[in-house]
Amino acid sequence: MTEAGGRQDARISEAEAIERAKLGDSDAFRILYDLHKRRVYSLCLRMTANTAQAEDLTQEAFLQLFRKIGTFRGESAFSTWLHRMAVNVVLMQLRKKNLPVVSLEETLEGEEEAPRKEPGAPDPKLAGSIDRLHLQRALEELPPGYRTIFLLHDVEGYEHNEIAAMINCSIGNSKSQLHKARMKLRSLLKANKTEAAGRR
Amino acid sequence: MNCAEFQELLPEILDSGETSESKVHAHSCKECSELYAELREISQAALLLRGVEEPNLRVWNSIEITLRQEGLIRDAALAGPALVPGHSRNWRLAWLVPIAALLVVMTSGIAIFQRNSQPQSIANLTPISTADGGTAEDQEILRAIGERTPTLRATYAADLQNINSYIRDAQDSLKNDPGDEEAQRALMGAYEQRAMVYEMAFERPLP
Repeated sequence: MTEAGGRQDARISEAEAIERAKLGDSDAFRILYDLHKRRVYSLCLRMTANTAQAEDLTQEAFLQLFRKIGTFRGESAFSTWLHRMAVNVVLMQLRKKNLPVVSLEETLEGEEEAPRKEPGAPDPKLAGSIDRLHLQRALEELPPGYRTIFLLHDVEGYEHNEIAAMINCSIGNSKSQLHKARMKLRSLLKANKTEAAGRR
Repeated sequence: MNCAEFQELLPEILDSGETSESKVHAHSCKECSELYAELREISQAALLLRGVEEPNLRVWNSIEITLRQEGLIRDAALAGPALVPGHSRNWRLAWLVPIAALLVVMTSGIAIFQRNSQPQSIANLTPISTADGGTAEDQEILRAIGERTPTLRATYAADLQNINSYIRDAQDSLKNDPGDEEAQRALMGAYEQRAMVYEMAFERPLP
C-alpha cells in the first residue's frame, strides 16, 4: 500500500525510517510523510470534497500516527496502520459534522438509476471514456454515504467485512450501498457526458 | 436467466466474476451486457483516484511545527547521524532559482490569460513538455537533488512524474472539451504543484 513501490533502493527503507522516527529524527518523519502523503491526502480530499478540510485531516492523521509511532511493533504493515488511522480520522470528522457515513437510502431510493437525459437523446456509452477527471467530478456529486463506501471499497481496496466494521453497518448493507453508488456514478457520468457533448 | 435476475445478481457478478448463466444472458442481452461492462469499468477506473493528489506544502510545515512543539522531533545530535545531509551545499542549486521563478511567472501568466481570453487556447499554450522522462528541467533538478540528498531523490522523481501525469490528463481533457472548467482548474493546480516542488527542491522550508 505504500507509494514507494520499487524505489526503496534509492532511499533508506521504510523500516529504517520508522526506527529513526522513534528516536525523534526529523528527516525520518519527513521520509515517512513523503511515502504516504498522497494516498492519505487523496482519501481525505475525496471523502470531504474540500481542500482545507482534507489538509486538516491529513495533518491530524499523520500527527496521530507520529505520536503513536513508538508503539508500532511491525506486526502489521505500516501503511495499513497509517491508512486505517486516516480513515478513522475522516469518519470521526464526518460523524462530528453529522454528515451521513452510510447513505440515507430512503431519500435517494430510485434516484440512482435515472440518468438525466433529454427526451429523445441517445443514451451515451461510457465504455472506454471514463478518465480520472470525469470520475473525480462524478464522485464529488455522489451523496456522502455512497461516496464513502465507493471510496473504501473500489478506490482503497477494503473488503466489505472491513468496511462494515469501520462504519458500523452490516456486510449486506455495505454491498448494497456499493452497488447503488456504482449505479449512481454511472448515471452521473452519462449525464456529464451528454452535457459536455451539448456544449460542443 | 432474465434481465431482472441478472441485475439482481449483478453486485455478486461484479465482485466474484461472471457465471456461465450470466455469460449466456449477457451475450444475448445488449442492455445487461452494457450495464455490466460500464459498472466494471467504473470500478476499475476507481484505482486511478488512489493517491493522486499532492497535499500543500503547509501541511508538512504544520506537522513539523507541532512535532517540534510536542518534543517528538529531537536535536539531530540526540537522534543520531542525519539521514539527509545538511544544506551547506544549497548554493550549488542557486542557478535553479530562475527556473522556479519562471514557472511561477508562467503559472500566473496562464491565470491572467485564462481570465482575458478564450479558454480553448490554454491546453495549447502550456509550454512545459511532459514527456514520460519529464522535462529537461526535471532531470536537472533530480540530478542536483541526487547529489545533495540522495535519500529524497526518489520522492521528488515520483512527485514530478505524478504531476506530469496529471498535466497530461488535464491537457487531454481540454483537447476533447476546451470549455471544460474543471480541466482548466486541474491544469492550473498541476502547474502550481509543479512550481512548488521546484521551490521545495531548492530549499526545504523550516518552521
